[in-house]
Amino acid sequence: MRLSTLLTPDRIAFSDELMEWPDAVRRVAQPLLDTGDITAGYVEAMTESIAAGGTYIDLGFGIALAHARPESGAVRPALAMLRLTEPAPLLGQPEHSVDLYFCLAAPDAHVHTEAMGSLARLLSDPDTRHALRAAACAADVTALITRFEENR
Amino acid sequence: MKIMAMCSTGLGSSFMLRMNIEDVVKELGLRDVQVEHSDLSSASPTSADAFFVAKDLEDAAQGLGDVTVMDSLIDKDELRAKVKALAERHALV
Repeated sequence: MRLSTLLTPDRIAFSDELMEWPDAVRRVAQPLLDTGDITAGYVEAMTESIAAGGTYIDLGFGIALAHARPESGAVRPALAMLRLTEPAPLLGQPEHSVDLYFCLAAPDAHVHTEAMGSLARLLSDPDTRHALRAAACAADVTALITRFEENR
Repeated sequence: MKIMAMCSTGLGSSFMLRMNIEDVVKELGLRDVQVEHSDLSSASPTSADAFFVAKDLEDAAQGLGDVTVMDSLIDKDELRAKVKALAERHALV
């Protein structure tokens, strides 16, 4: 599963608004909700699991990957991204300061782990991670992901 | 030896961690190391020789034995240092 097919430009957003984490999660998920890739229940499941102490979605380097179980309402495989100017720390905890939110939806466990794996490779590459954090628009993001996938 | 990467659901973060551990194991040339992933609730001290978890499970994973806690799941430098330390502890290098 190529990330460039999951993270299309219409699913990438930038915002300089100040917001708290539940709004950031809703905002990153909005494009997927609009196109029916996820249900409202999926967004709820993500916020509930984070509220229950799920800072596990914090990957480090200001990046968080919001996701819920496939059966919570993932309809089609999709990935969305929200880049914030001001961090929206998870659960308001400064040690979980996040300004780059991803939202992953996958209807089955196989696609879920496959997409997770691709994303882990992308984000664990220091150069790509820096470029992603420095990206200023959706076109920058899709270009660097495509480049990463072509060079592998 | 067997290393188990764990997260609360066994679906996402643990798989990310497992992949990165496998990369580092290969990079360091460690032999006879097997890496798996699982959710925390189905793991017991006999499930593996060493366990890797993210920070949020630090407390919950105590009692499993040799537990390594990761600050970040995507920091290869941190992971490399911690896998190296593990290999030394278990006399793999």
